[in-house]
Amino acid sequence: MKKYNYNRAVAALLVGACGIASSLHADEDFISEENLYGEQLESGSEISDPLEFINRYTFKFNDFVYLNLVEPLADGYQAVTPDPVEASATNFFRNLKYPVRLAGNLLQGRLEGAWVETGRFAINSTVGVLGFFTPADKMSGFEPIPKEDIGQAFGSWGLGEGPYLILPLLGPSNLRDLGGYLGDRAVNPLDEPFSLIDDWDWEWPVALAVTEFTVASPRLIERYKRLKGTAIDPYGSLKNGYTQFRRAAIEQ
Amino acid sequence: MRKLILLTPFIWLLAVSSLQAASSEADRLKGVINAAIEAVYGDCCAELPLKEKQIKVREALESEYDLDVIIRRAIGRSWSLMNAPEQEQVLELVKQLLVKAYVKGMNGESKPEVQLGETIEITGKRMEIPSKVKMDEKTVNVLYRLGRMKSGWQIYDIVAEDISMVANYRQQIDDHFRMGDGQDLINKLNELLTKEDIDEEIQL
Repeated sequence: MKKYNYNRAVAALLVGACGIASSLHADEDFISEENLYGEQLESGSEISDPLEFINRYTFKFNDFVYLNLVEPLADGYQAVTPDPVEASATNFFRNLKYPVRLAGNLLQGRLEGAWVETGRFAINSTVGVLGFFTPADKMSGFEPIPKEDIGQAFGSWGLGEGPYLILPLLGPSNLRDLGGYLGDRAVNPLDEPFSLIDDWDWEWPVALAVTEFTVASPRLIERYKRLKGTAIDPYGSLKNGYTQFRRAAIEQ
Repeated sequence: MRKLILLTPFIWLLAVSSLQAASSEADRLKGVINAAIEAVYGDCCAELPLKEKQIKVREALESEYDLDVIIRRAIGRSWSLMNAPEQEQVLELVKQLLVKAYVKGMNGESKPEVQLGETIEITGKRMEIPSKVKMDEKTVNVLYRLGRMKSGWQIYDIVAEDISMVANYRQQIDDHFRMGDGQDLINKLNELLTKEDIDEEIQL
């Protein structure tokens, strides 16, 4: 009798389990339209934009410059530069930004990141001929890691974004990232106004900055156009895209 | 011990059921992505004009997923600020815009390769499927967010390189409704769709 009851209990449980499992597909167990369309989005809080009026005009100015000056520059650069040379030039300037990435990692207490960045800089600057090549990419333990900067470090310390800003020529930012950008320039020994190289004539830093910008221009334009491409309101799209990207970088 | 034995089939069935759902959804998603890529790069379609490619891509996407879900989530509460005919028109125009952008984005010389990662089950009703899209030496991380609706599993967001498409559109639409109305939105969408190059001429 006892055994009979036991078997019945097992059978009932199995049936129940099947029922519950299949109820995963039952009508009651779904997200209602009301919930899905009305809920707060995963990307978090709103973006503070008290300077929207000025920002929109700066955006319009930048848009004109990007599409009428930077895009032709990028097209011209790409037309005359073979792909491998283009890639090497990008690598070279990326390698020079090592102090910024190092500072970004150290300020967040990411010692492993600082170590990897230092190793990559050493390997790419020597074996990779001044950073034109990136042999570190294929070395275990020195593969590329997400880029860190001082703005991200400020974010990881809990500093708020502050108002959203569109900077002339530089594009989207916010008060915290503007501070970070100035910090990035301060730790980079080649960047003015904090350059450690005293006897540089002004032509050299200008030439370096122009070359760096030219090399980066195809990537910048491609990203800008991709984000703007299907935008109902390109200003809002860029504001949101930039903020989401930065928030994710700080969270990682 | 007996309790444990009794519970084992129950736990096992739950686990199997949820694993099956995750893996079949990943297969379904993979199939749709491949069909959409084929509609742009495949032997059948590579030479077709853009408009026809767009039709084929839309057919591929809509064969499995309801695009209304992702658009309605992007519109959010602004939905109630439009009347029924406006709602219908906006849904259709945004669909066309998304498909146009998708086909335009597939401008690489080589056919993109898509690799789906392990499905992440958030709850019984939500899952995320990460993927890597390799196109012309570049790799882009794309995350698909799926929710179990009355009509089955539907994509409710696509996150490319940490930027959620839904959040991005919701920002633009919310901003739009602070200043404009449903008809203005329809006009804007029509303008975007008729433009030869959607990158140019912005209106503030």
